[in-house]
Amino acid sequence: MQSTAVRVFVLAVFAVVPFIQTNTYWQHVFGVALIGAILALGLQLLIGMAGLLSLGQGAFYGIGAYVSAVLTLRFGMPFTLAFLAAGLVAALSSLLLVPIVKLPGSSLAVATLGFNIIMYLIMLNEDWATGGSYGLLNVPLPRIFGFEFTTERDLYFLILAVAVLVYLALDRLTHSRFGRALKAISQDEDAARACGISIIHYKSKCFLVAAFTAGIAGSLYAHHARYLNPNDFTFNKSIEILIMVVVGGLGSLPGAVIGAIVIVLMPEILRSSGELRLILFGALVVVLMGVSRGGIAGLAPILVDRMSRYRPPAGGKGVESGELKR
Amino acid sequence: MTALLRTDQLSCRFGGLVAVSSVDLSVEAGHVHGLIGPNGAGKTTFLNLISGHIRQTGGTINFDGQDLGSMPPDLRAAAGIRRTFQNLRLFREMTAIENVMVGLHANTRSEVFSSLIRTSAQRWEEKDIAERARAALDFVGLLGSANTVAGSLSYGHQRLLEIARAFVGKPKLILADEPAAGLNGTEAGQLVGLIRRIQAAGVTMMLVEHHMEVVMRACDRITVLNYGKKLADGSPADIRDHSGVIEAYLGTKPVYTRSEHHRTAEARHAAH
Repeated sequence: MQSTAVRVFVLAVFAVVPFIQTNTYWQHVFGVALIGAILALGLQLLIGMAGLLSLGQGAFYGIGAYVSAVLTLRFGMPFTLAFLAAGLVAALSSLLLVPIVKLPGSSLAVATLGFNIIMYLIMLNEDWATGGSYGLLNVPLPRIFGFEFTTERDLYFLILAVAVLVYLALDRLTHSRFGRALKAISQDEDAARACGISIIHYKSKCFLVAAFTAGIAGSLYAHHARYLNPNDFTFNKSIEILIMVVVGGLGSLPGAVIGAIVIVLMPEILRSSGELRLILFGALVVVLMGVSRGGIAGLAPILVDRMSRYRPPAGGKGVESGELKR
Repeated sequence: MTALLRTDQLSCRFGGLVAVSSVDLSVEAGHVHGLIGPNGAGKTTFLNLISGHIRQTGGTINFDGQDLGSMPPDLRAAAGIRRTFQNLRLFREMTAIENVMVGLHANTRSEVFSSLIRTSAQRWEEKDIAERARAALDFVGLLGSANTVAGSLSYGHQRLLEIARAFVGKPKLILADEPAAGLNGTEAGQLVGLIRRIQAAGVTMMLVEHHMEVVMRACDRITVLNYGKKLADGSPADIRDHSGVIEAYLGTKPVYTRSEHHRTAEARHAAH
């Protein structure tokens, strides 16, 4: 159980980051990382709670981004409304998946991936709405009740606020009747049905909530990057979100946030290693998965375990009992 | 006495195999109704038909005055039919109390939105769910393991946890599929006591079981299935003496012990 003290401390750390790092490029990257965290939190609900392997989150992200950008650019809608509309339209479009939510693991993954490809093609080809491959330029800065978020630091705090709300919302859902039903479904569908849980109903609802989350993340992205291109929303994006969740730790909300930050920041930090950076990054991900199947969130118990089993070497023998038994 | 559950010519066919064949059966409200028969007699299939996990190919099921038709299992659970499974089907990675809380799903209502803004009704319901789940764990004697992950409980305790999950919502009918399987003598004896207490709480039970002592001691009425057909129906005493039942379990050829065989030969010799 996380105490309120831990939460306040973590929030304080996030709040001081843009004051310690005043370089606007890095502040922008931190904003991108937090958008990634919102995306990863949404996918965590699908994969970590309900066991639904979806590779379509990138599509809902794109839908949210374009809805928000088009509504503000072309129709002059205020940011607040466009932001909510982005979430709602993404959520509604997830209803298209209702007929396939019952598919088992890998089939569902491929089917949602197909959905992402279709949505990408729509973004690419429906120029009248999306600007096609030219994309949308000059998406307006967010403005809430007359306050315009102009600096990178302002934008960072806007994204942080949304991320905190999403985190708290999903934390509440996890510890509710809805969350328990999702966990039950992921572990035994027949037993869940015998308890009165409708599988299609709950899986669809789970997709709906996750799509809403991705949709508002898309809206933030649109007004943060201020330029949209369909190439930002290919299935590569969905896979990147999946990597965030798995690296961070399946089933853990803090894990999803950590995973997103690592996946966004690592390539930036490794930038000094030039062309090697993506190879290094890939290798780090592989090693991490080999060490801890629970991702980064699963590392802490393993380390604690190793420390507690460690006995000062007597007669030269080291930590033999510290071997992993997985 | 009124029948809570009545099947009429209930049948289930898997391709060429007739698993359940035109079974008429009625379970009185308040009874513990045993369903016995040799392996492959169609007992589990029968339970699956009642719980809705399998669809019948013929016949009807009437529960509490309502034709169940092709109602899916989750709605049957909401209508008051709960079950346990032959091969433990717990939510293994959830704690014991969470398993029982899921058992209250059909009895509670809060959804996504009310959970997000924590309405007073939702908070009250969560408290109520936790209290009822603890009471149900206490009822089967597992309160001490409330926060243990279900998969790491002992086998006997997992069986009890499944019963608690089925019982917690005080359904009208519990379908129990071999609850005594894998239990030792003491545990089986305690199970009979638990079944009686469930009955005393006003819950009707249908019990599929191989453990004859449990069946004979716990059941008010017993139905015997063989090759998917109803072979006999009656009180435990009737079933014990029913020749067809003995045949179904032991075979049709008369079985003599060696000494009996000798005696009959001697008797024959003496008669000459």
